[in-house]
Amino acid sequence: MESIIQIEKLTKRFPVGTGEFTALKDINLAFGKGEFTGFVGPSGSGKTTLLNIIGSLDTPTEGEVTVLGHSIAHLTHRQSAKLRNQHLGFIFQTYNLFPVYTVYENVEFALLLQQMPAAERRKAVLDALEWVGLTDKAHSRPAQLSGGEGQRVAIARAMVKRPAIMLADEPTANLDSKNSHHILQTMAQLNKELKTTFLFATHDEKVMAYLRRIISLEDGRVVKDEAMTPQRQPGV
Amino acid sequence: MIRFLFKGIIRDKNRSLLPVLVISIGVFLTVLGSCWFKGIFSDMIDVNANFSTGHVKIMSRAYADNAGQMPNDLALSEAGQLVEELQTAYPGLEWVQRIHFGGLLDVPDEAGETRGQGMATGWGIDFFSPGTQEPQRMNIPGSIVKGALPARPGEALISHEFAERFGIGIGDTVTLFGSTMYGGMAFANFTVAGAVRFGMRALDRGAIIIDITDAQAALDMADAAGEILGFFRDGRYDGARALQLKTDFNARYESETDEFAPLMLRLNDQNGLEDYLALSESISGIMIFIFVLAMSIVLWNTGLLGGLRRYNEFGIRLAMGEEKKHIYRTLIIESVLIGAIGSVVGTALGLAAALPLQEYGLSFGSAVQGGGIMMPEVFRTRVGPEAFYIGFIPGLVSMVLGNALSGIGIYRRRTAVLFKELSV
Ligand SMILES: Nc1ncnc2c1ncn2[C@@H]1O[C@H](COP(=O)(O)OP(=O)(O)O)[C@@H](O)[C@H]1O
Ligand SMILES: [Mg+2]
Repeated sequence: MESIIQIEKLTKRFPVGTGEFTALKDINLAFGKGEFTGFVGPSGSGKTTLLNIIGSLDTPTEGEVTVLGHSIAHLTHRQSAKLRNQHLGFIFQTYNLFPVYTVYENVEFALLLQQMPAAERRKAVLDALEWVGLTDKAHSRPAQLSGGEGQRVAIARAMVKRPAIMLADEPTANLDSKNSHHILQTMAQLNKELKTTFLFATHDEKVMAYLRRIISLEDGRVVKDEAMTPQRQPGV
Repeated sequence: MIRFLFKGIIRDKNRSLLPVLVISIGVFLTVLGSCWFKGIFSDMIDVNANFSTGHVKIMSRAYADNAGQMPNDLALSEAGQLVEELQTAYPGLEWVQRIHFGGLLDVPDEAGETRGQGMATGWGIDFFSPGTQEPQRMNIPGSIVKGALPARPGEALISHEFAERFGIGIGDTVTLFGSTMYGGMAFANFTVAGAVRFGMRALDRGAIIIDITDAQAALDMADAAGEILGFFRDGRYDGARALQLKTDFNARYESETDEFAPLMLRLNDQNGLEDYLALSESISGIMIFIFVLAMSIVLWNTGLLGGLRRYNEFGIRLAMGEEKKHIYRTLIIESVLIGAIGSVVGTALGLAAALPLQEYGLSFGSAVQGGGIMMPEVFRTRVGPEAFYIGFIPGLVSMVLGNALSGIGIYRRRTAVLFKELSV
């Protein structure tokens, strides 16, 4: 299978005081289209750092990270913004919705940035809200939503532009079991229908139950990379 | 996108309320202040023009050199002829003769003995020619406290304060003592037709106003006038036009050798008004500068606080692929929108305060006493066309400047650093 993300000899060091802290060490990985994969490991093992580099929010110290043919280390600010805007979707532990805008407007924002024509935009927003089952909440404000609904809006906002890759950092950490399964179902469904690649950073067993590949990190190193037969599937 | 930002501003009171408040207040003060200063300056200029300097004034060179002493021995002779020439040569102005004189007013009792005496400043103005504007120009009808305008030669107006002090009633006789054009002693009796109060210290202490022909007769100034004043027919002083006129007139009439030859001066050239005119031109600019400076600093800080509050939002927007430059630009657009709202509110409030003050004015009583310059006691605002837009300059500039400064931090930092800081 052709890979859309290649990571070769990636090392990431952060300056700490007078010295340096190595957060990622000699990582070599590749990901194909349509994967549903998670980085797992204890807190501080480097999951978020790795996700941020793949998402071009941060740059490698050494090594080469190529996303959809773009070398992350060599992108200008403008090019990396464009890559994120067109091809990458992010979901975070806290939903980070814009509090002053309605659900509809939150989802619409990404498309406004792309200057999509109004009619097309409207259809895309309504489609995205339907994927996450929040059509009837279109005009609510984030403060009026439950935690599960908030995270579903965040998924719709990230998915509305139909990115090739979704990066989800601890997406269930703030949700109860029922809501966690709800959003995981939603994401698994989108992965199946739209062939979007999903990469998770998590230490949540519920998430792991859906993953088809689990990469274990410890102290910034990959210690295990195994294909899984997911215990749970979309619709089940 | 702008519609989107506008919604954000309207809904997020934290983002808009404080800046709108700050801008509204600043703009309100700017609008009111500039109307206020404009009112004061233009009233002052009008008063000076109407009572003293004209828009232009012609005197003999010798008279001009000693104008403070009202030297009627140096008055223009054949003044009637000169006015006719002026009316032909410069029909855009109205030309009037005046005699300004000093003297002693004596108030006799029934027996003819002196009951009281006081120094008086006198004016001889044109009360009786058909279509004369002079009484209106000096706002005499509006200033009459009792009695009426002189209706025939031999009648006079005196200042109300003077009349009160000496118990002078309408129909009483006063005697004016002065000096003739030739240095002799002059005296003449006048019947008091009315008492006036102008609201200006210099005039209200002691003044007598008589018809110019009476003044000419009393002071032995046949066909002579101390001053010929010219007023633009639209009533507005125009410094550039006045300068043209002055250059032209003086080229025709002025004489090196004859100190009695007529000389024209502009309003600017008299009573030290040049400086005031210059100040009146620059005062709005000065005020705008001060308000821009003060409000920018305040808004810079509110912008910094507002920016901190929105770090999370900016972080998400970066992650969504918005460029830093674009985020910065939307901040500026937001500040333009907020600045515009504040400017509209502030301008409306400023006009709401300035318009009644234009109508009714505020009385400062005798607190203000001008030196050579005549100062009205009632200060009024003047709402010109610029009152409607002048507030937008500090309103918009300070908001945009304040936000541009506070946004620089976000703009300068590297994405990775920023994203970490933005604590998503
Ligand atoms: N900007 C940074 N500066 C210094 N150290 C950092 C920075 N970002 C992450 N780290 C460190 O790198 C390690 C990995 O962090 P992270 O990727 O957030 O771990 P995880 O997401 O697995 O909990 C942690 O020890 C963290 O303290
Ligand atoms: Mg993490």
